[in-house]
Amino acid sequence: MHFELDEEQKEIKRAVKEFCEKEFTPELALEFDEKEEFPTELYKKAAKLGFTSMRIHEDYDGQGYGLLEDCIVVEEMCRVDPGLGAAVSLGNLMVPDILLKHGTEEQKKKYIPPLAKGDAISAAAFSEPEHGSDITRMDTTAAKSGNEWIINGSKEFITNAPLADVFIVLCQTDPNVTPSHRGQSIFIMEKVTPGLEATKLKGKMGIRPCITGSLSLSDVKVNENNVVGELNKGFYYTLALFDETRITVAAQAVGMAQGAFERAFQYAKTRKQFGSPIIKFQGISFKLADMAVKIEAARMLTHKAAWLFDQGRLDPMATSMAKVFAGRVAMEVTDEAIQIYGGYGYLADYHVERFHRCAKITEIYEGTSEMQKLTIINQLLKRM
Amino acid sequence: MLEIFVLTEHRQGQIRDITFEMLTKGRDLAEKAGADLTAVVLGKDVREHAKTLSEYAKKVLLVEDKRLENFNSEVYKKVLSDLINKHKPLLIMIGHTSFGVDLAPSLAAALKLPLASDCINIEFEGATLLITRQMYGGKVNVKATVRKVGCYIVTVRQAAFSVQKLSMNGEIIEKSSSLTEEITSKRFIKYVSPPLSGVDITAADVLVGVGRGIKDESNIPAVEELARSLGGVLACSRPIVDKGWLPNDRQVGTSGKIVKPKLYIALGISGAFQHVLGMKSSDLIIAVNKDPNAPVFNFSDYGVVEDLFKLVSPLKNKICELKGHKI
Amino acid sequence: MDVIVCVKHVPETAEAEIKIDSTGKAVEKIGLVFDINESDDYALEEAIRIKEKLGGTVTALTVGSGDADSTLRKCLARGADQAIRLTDVKFNGSDSYATAKILHSAIKGLSFDLILTGALASDDGYTMVGPILAELLGIPHATMVKNIEFSDDVVKVNRELEGGVEEIVEVKLPVALSVQTGINEPRYVSILGIKKAMRKEIKVLGLVDIDLSENDVGEAGSWIVIEKMFVPPVEKQTEFIKGTPEEVAAKIAEIIKSRGLM
Ligand SMILES: Cc1cc2nc3c(=O)[nH]c(=O)nc-3n(C[C@H](O)[C@H](O)[C@H](O)COP(=O)(O)OP(=O)(O)OC[C@H]3O[C@@H](n4cnc5c(N)ncnc54)[C@H](O)[C@@H]3O)c2cc1C
Ligand SMILES: Cc1cc2nc3c(=O)[nH]c(=O)nc-3n(C[C@H](O)[C@H](O)[C@H](O)COP(=O)(O)OP(=O)(O)OC[C@H]3O[C@@H](n4cnc5c(N)ncnc54)[C@H](O)[C@@H]3O)c2cc1C
Repeated sequence: MHFELDEEQKEIKRAVKEFCEKEFTPELALEFDEKEEFPTELYKKAAKLGFTSMRIHEDYDGQGYGLLEDCIVVEEMCRVDPGLGAAVSLGNLMVPDILLKHGTEEQKKKYIPPLAKGDAISAAAFSEPEHGSDITRMDTTAAKSGNEWIINGSKEFITNAPLADVFIVLCQTDPNVTPSHRGQSIFIMEKVTPGLEATKLKGKMGIRPCITGSLSLSDVKVNENNVVGELNKGFYYTLALFDETRITVAAQAVGMAQGAFERAFQYAKTRKQFGSPIIKFQGISFKLADMAVKIEAARMLTHKAAWLFDQGRLDPMATSMAKVFAGRVAMEVTDEAIQIYGGYGYLADYHVERFHRCAKITEIYEGTSEMQKLTIINQLLKRM
Repeated sequence: MLEIFVLTEHRQGQIRDITFEMLTKGRDLAEKAGADLTAVVLGKDVREHAKTLSEYAKKVLLVEDKRLENFNSEVYKKVLSDLINKHKPLLIMIGHTSFGVDLAPSLAAALKLPLASDCINIEFEGATLLITRQMYGGKVNVKATVRKVGCYIVTVRQAAFSVQKLSMNGEIIEKSSSLTEEITSKRFIKYVSPPLSGVDITAADVLVGVGRGIKDESNIPAVEELARSLGGVLACSRPIVDKGWLPNDRQVGTSGKIVKPKLYIALGISGAFQHVLGMKSSDLIIAVNKDPNAPVFNFSDYGVVEDLFKLVSPLKNKICELKGHKI
Repeated sequence: MDVIVCVKHVPETAEAEIKIDSTGKAVEKIGLVFDINESDDYALEEAIRIKEKLGGTVTALTVGSGDADSTLRKCLARGADQAIRLTDVKFNGSDSYATAKILHSAIKGLSFDLILTGALASDDGYTMVGPILAELLGIPHATMVKNIEFSDDVVKVNRELEGGVEEIVEVKLPVALSVQTGINEPRYVSILGIKKAMRKEIKVLGLVDIDLSENDVGEAGSWIVIEKMFVPPVEKQTEFIKGTPEEVAAKIAEIIKSRGLM
């Protein structure tokens, strides 16, 4: 058993901490939260330093580290600011992961390096207006015509859709097969593809610097080479992909909780009521102790899930446990942080309310908390 | 007779204030130690300086050589070493200035004499030299003893001692330069003044000084507005210039400008002495810092322990209100 | 150009609460965050830029305990080729004279063209290590350096003087330069840099590895021995204004107005 980051991992944490603390200023955080705009410059800067390509292999201009190192980076980014942190860490989401596993050498060479270097942004489109938690059938269809596929349909809630240079899209390629998920495939396509259109979604509760949009596909024609991996394996690829990326969502949650906790802790030491710092009141100090315990537990689960993955022993139950627990901890801790701040906590300028608003997403995307519990119980039933 | 040396610092025809500050303190030390106070002046055509110095010291040692025209630590080290070896003074006082820090450490190492740098106080307790200096950016003072040898070098912080003039009518003693061969390892080329942005902070009645507490360049405009509401201009501490957030002629302090406005508001400035020396003669100083132990509060008339970002906009509004402007 | 850069691992104290410890001669280190000294950070950056421009190597050196490895690793991650840490319990209590002697004994066996140090250490503020080291090595130096230009066997440097003026001096190589803040813009540590740094070893040397004796180092080998530490006396009695930001703002505005400054 080894419960400590190694020297290299500590250095990584320190480097990303220094970068984020200098670059993710509270003012920028407020500004981008208000504007609902993607922090392109920060994304590029972080990418040039390697912070956004931790898990990408060195052959494709990535850093060649594992998921655990990525979690360290993501946690730290979201600790400093949940909105900017989520946006920057999700700039090249999922496309490199799926290509590294299932892509052809040509696809990898073409698409991954620009994403690794921060010169491009990616989006991964699974959810549809009618299919969120349940993606066993997609209304977006791809029909073969000669050596092309013609794709029609729409996708909803797609991170980066309005900005992305490259997309992966889960489509129903065989509408008749039962069960339907055996007829799904993933396509890769570029922004410039005719018929592909994205619309920005405004008014999100949190992670507002992270741009979300809907995607409409109308007679989008892509070459058969744009199928990722094998035809009709898309659903399985998607599940495996989420088992991996979900762990980084847990890391986001841990970081958000940690950031709110640290702010609340400092505040409780300086805010005086009834003649003493409020941290002297057990009603407050016990809250802080509970928060610290929860965060530590969430971090342990997250690191364990990441470690298992890096050992080549991916465990969907460990992943789901980490995500569901960390997501809840993020909600509870950020809520208590506001409580500790009292009225000030309710104001944007004191930042903790933003942590709370952002934290909620970690219970929703990449599989809701309910879906994680389904995974856990299914796994338990298999094992016990 | 024991001697205390004060090295005269001059640049471009001017004796620098630190010299007189050291002479004042040196006289006090000399009296207590029963020593003579000797001003040492090295240069070219500096007879006038020697005359001025003779009013502050018992003796003036004057060495003239064209190679001493501009300060050069290597040349100074050679000439001064010879003087020290001959006179064996009890104490050599050198300014803790850019010249002083270039000269004193290598002089001390060359002569194997102990050096105490950046002193804000100097005392003898018997034969023991006791000095006071600051650490941690002025957050703590330390009293330290210097290794006992009977001949010490100190560098003295600027403005640590005030100047008192006395008509000493000291004796001017000319010494011939001991320079023989040319010293070529280090050559003075010229003085340069970095380009100016056109704002003269020394002329302003009201200055709002910002320090590293401002955190980001994007916060500068808000503070600038505050300064403008007071009819003043924005000044800053050194890190702000180092980061390129404001031009160098806005910098207050020893390596920037010395300012004496009617009002100086220090926002997020810790109060390192290099900064304080530039602004402590302001008529009214108001400091805002979130650290209650920031040294700046040792020099301010009014202090506010608060996050500066919470104060800037209410303050601007209040000022506009009192001025009868609409916000 | 082979460059040696001397760095110090110091606590960040501008925003931290400083407490004097029970010995009364040092500050409480617990709770302080340590990192590379500010002007050393600029010196390191300058060293790496010189290497990038002119080729050669960068060696980072520090005198310090095991904690200081993180500062050395930062140097390696930012582009230094090798790192040496000089450490020994006997070194404790060294002032900058003793520190310079320790550095000297390690450096004299190395080949170099240029030594860079920071202008001053933000903890003790001695402002001496660079020029003493130069003197011990028998090479020229320049302090408060704001710009460095190379030509053949000399460097032209801008030295910062008081009042915003600079002087340009020409110094023969090899030379020791003490770098002032603001000379460049230090880069961040990159992940690639960390990866490279982890493959490099930090060489650790103790008193037995250098030709100094116990009497040359620590308090015994120092010029200065700290007797006591205390809180600086106040020069002006500050009147603290308290209240909510709005109340404070109103009070300040009144004070300013009452002084006829509106
Ligand atoms: C900001 C943001 C970014 C997103 N980014 C992406 C993206 O990049 N790509 C992408 O494909 N998608 C993305 N999504 C979509 C996200 O993955 C879905 O919103 C999520 O999977 C839930 O789907 P839904 O919203 O349709 O909710 P529904 O599936 O309709 O669920 C509604 C509620 O019912 C619960 N529920 C559903 N089924 C069950 C069950 N069997 N048992 C118990 N409870 C159940 C859910 O847990 C939830 O509480 C994003 C969403 C958001 C908000
Ligand atoms: C040779 C030499 C010459 C120098 N010359 C000069 C000079 O001319 N002028 C000069 O200024 N410096 C000079 N310096 C540098 C000097 O030593 C200090 O490093 C510098 O003055 C520190 O600047 P600062 O107070 O802005 O930053 P810091 O010392 O980092 O202090 C920042 C302060 O901001 C406070 N703070 C942080 N956030 C907030 C907030 N939200 N609200 C309120 N307060 C906050 C912190 O508590 C802290 O006290 C010189 C140094 C050397 C070696």
